[in-house]
Amino acid sequence: MALVAVAAPLTAHAQPTPAPPPPPAPAGAAAAPADDATAPADDAAPPPGDAPEDAAAPDGDAADDDEDLSDIEAALADDAAAAEDARPAPPQGGLAGAAAALNPDLSFIADVAAAWFWGDDPMQTGDHDPQVNGFTLQQVEMSIAKSVDPYFRFDANIVFKDDGAEVEEAYATTLAMPHALQVRAGKFLTRFGRLNATHPHTWDFVDQPLAFGRVFGGEGNRGAGAELSWLTPLPWYTEVLVSVTDPHGEGTARSFLGASDRALDTPLDVQTTAAAHQFFDLNDDWSLLWGLSWATAPNPSGDATRTHVVGADLYVKWRPITRASFQQVALQTEWLLRRRQQPAGTITDLDTYAQLTWRFAQRWGVGGRWEYGGAPAFTGATVVDDLDPDWTEARQRATAQLTFWPTEFSRLRAQASVDRPAWRDPVWATFLSMEFAVGAHGAHKF
Amino acid sequence: MRTPLVLVASLAVVGLIGVAHPRPAHADVKIVATVPDLASIAKEIGGKKVSVTALSLPSQDPHFVDAKPSLVLKLAKADLLIAVGLELEVGWLPSLQTQARNSKIQAGGAGFLDCSTSISVKEAGNTDRAKGDVHPSGNPHYLYDPRRAGKCAKAIADKLAALDPDNAKTYAAGYAAFAKRLDGARADWEARLAAYKGAPVITYHASWIYLSDWLGLDQVATLEPKPGIPPTPSHVAQVIKTGKAKGAKVVLQEAYYPDKTGKLVAKKLGGAVVSLPGGADVGQGESYVDHMDQLVDKLADALK
Repeated sequence: MALVAVAAPLTAHAQPTPAPPPPPAPAGAAAAPADDATAPADDAAPPPGDAPEDAAAPDGDAADDDEDLSDIEAALADDAAAAEDARPAPPQGGLAGAAAALNPDLSFIADVAAAWFWGDDPMQTGDHDPQVNGFTLQQVEMSIAKSVDPYFRFDANIVFKDDGAEVEEAYATTLAMPHALQVRAGKFLTRFGRLNATHPHTWDFVDQPLAFGRVFGGEGNRGAGAELSWLTPLPWYTEVLVSVTDPHGEGTARSFLGASDRALDTPLDVQTTAAAHQFFDLNDDWSLLWGLSWATAPNPSGDATRTHVVGADLYVKWRPITRASFQQVALQTEWLLRRRQQPAGTITDLDTYAQLTWRFAQRWGVGGRWEYGGAPAFTGATVVDDLDPDWTEARQRATAQLTFWPTEFSRLRAQASVDRPAWRDPVWATFLSMEFAVGAHGAHKF
Repeated sequence: MRTPLVLVASLAVVGLIGVAHPRPAHADVKIVATVPDLASIAKEIGGKKVSVTALSLPSQDPHFVDAKPSLVLKLAKADLLIAVGLELEVGWLPSLQTQARNSKIQAGGAGFLDCSTSISVKEAGNTDRAKGDVHPSGNPHYLYDPRRAGKCAKAIADKLAALDPDNAKTYAAGYAAFAKRLDGARADWEARLAAYKGAPVITYHASWIYLSDWLGLDQVATLEPKPGIPPTPSHVAQVIKTGKAKGAKVVLQEAYYPDKTGKLVAKKLGGAVVSLPGGADVGQGESYVDHMDQLVDKLADALK
């Protein structure tokens, strides 16, 4: 469905100006592309969908474009049918090299850590966090990426751990939808806030913030589903998105249906996430990115009980680019307000983290992070938070890290933290972590 | 419960408003170039028929540009994206292209030009990062060679003519004028530096091999032990030794690299550091030829 809708306008817009100058009359214009477009079928060259490569006309006459459009669409439909019949057999032999070049970009990233905790029963909330004294293979992530065709690209992240492999993400992203729209479909990390959609190798600290572990789960919020996003025509970067995803998953949607196997009763029982992000170039050296997010889905405590999570995120970065410097300073903070309806009341809590990182040399950086997980507030008769029954009071954690990057493909980190849940004794933790990336790893977002 | 529906509906409405907006009839071809030198060349060819933006500043290392969302916005509206290629922009450009939601400027799109496809590439086939941060498809710093920049200009002119056939003559004329100016300047540069064929030079990064190829300089060492690895004391000691043995006096580097090591080495060798912006300062009206002129001036001074 989506493909047809996308392909038709794209091809039509690109077609009106073939290699020879555009003929004066609409009738002639319709004939010319038709002749051109039959050629691929005869030559057994690419299908008509590839035609835009040769003929895009940014400067074309808009009025003529519109008049020609329906004729062209009709001609293309005929040609598509013809091409279907005349599709060639694939060429044979001598293609080993060319075929290999079609392989997707593949990269592997390994994270291993040594950890030591002082205090009973550390309460790390991330599934990739070191959880015990000694060594932890945090993850081996295999990233796969490639254009599918002119309309889609494909990305997947498959994570190997000691207890098996998991397809964390596998999704297609549209590249050619009109009006600055974009759809992602498959299984993906929702773009709630800033950190949730990213993978551990882009994180500034060895472990996941408590806020995400508590609200969404140790894997971060993700699931199978679809996302529609729109880059608005405002003069500054403003993107809005809405996604619907599976609300199940102990480690991915714990405040929603989580570990429960309850089926969806209505289509509105999926997790709905909406977010808006804005970016401002304050000047060449200073950048500001902020966003608001909201996620909602049923929770299994009652028949019609839902959980709502509202988030705000802010990222301010200083990186001088008008002179030689390796320095970068970034402030990043996210706030999550969670409200869970229960049969007899609601539970509300606030979770946040704020971190400041400073890359002070080409290969060295330091960072500090403060985290807060508020005490749950109950209304009505609810007295127990069944997800975290012990988490009855506020919890704070302070973390510091020192990073050394031998190159941009490897990273060594030392981290120390003190976790102070008000309802129990503090836990001190130290981590040493190593990260290695090989292969053609894709570019990261800002 | 109703909120998601409301959101979807409002998105749909806003999308429709977008549909209703007519496109301006004879707009400029909007060109986005990854580096300022390419932006300058494109502007000279396209003249008044194009508007040109660069994604990076001459003071920025083009390997490590932040994929700022404001750059997404530029790409979203672009008709043509011109890249250096050879994995120079691999750490940031692909993410911007995907986010731009603009089919024209995707790799393989009609409005995407990888300039490296128009030149002969050096140092291709380095596929082991044990050799440092190497570029498997070849060394991407070819714009320091005006002959290659000329080929690149031809590719830009051809691409513009294909995208905007109505103004093909303008682009051909723009290219002819640029090529004439560049060839004239090149003859002058070559004459000024002819005496220094075979002169030994030291560079910071392996980014000057095309310049050496063009002028016949002898690049005897790099301050980086391997591409992307900052200079280490033992390596710098070795470079000084090599420099002395080969009689090198000049250290060439882009201004975005730290210059303390270069100055130290140059001092030990009794020479000078030639530190240059990575490209033309297009914001200040500087052109590619001006930038190269500056390079040749400083080089001639230092080699004296």
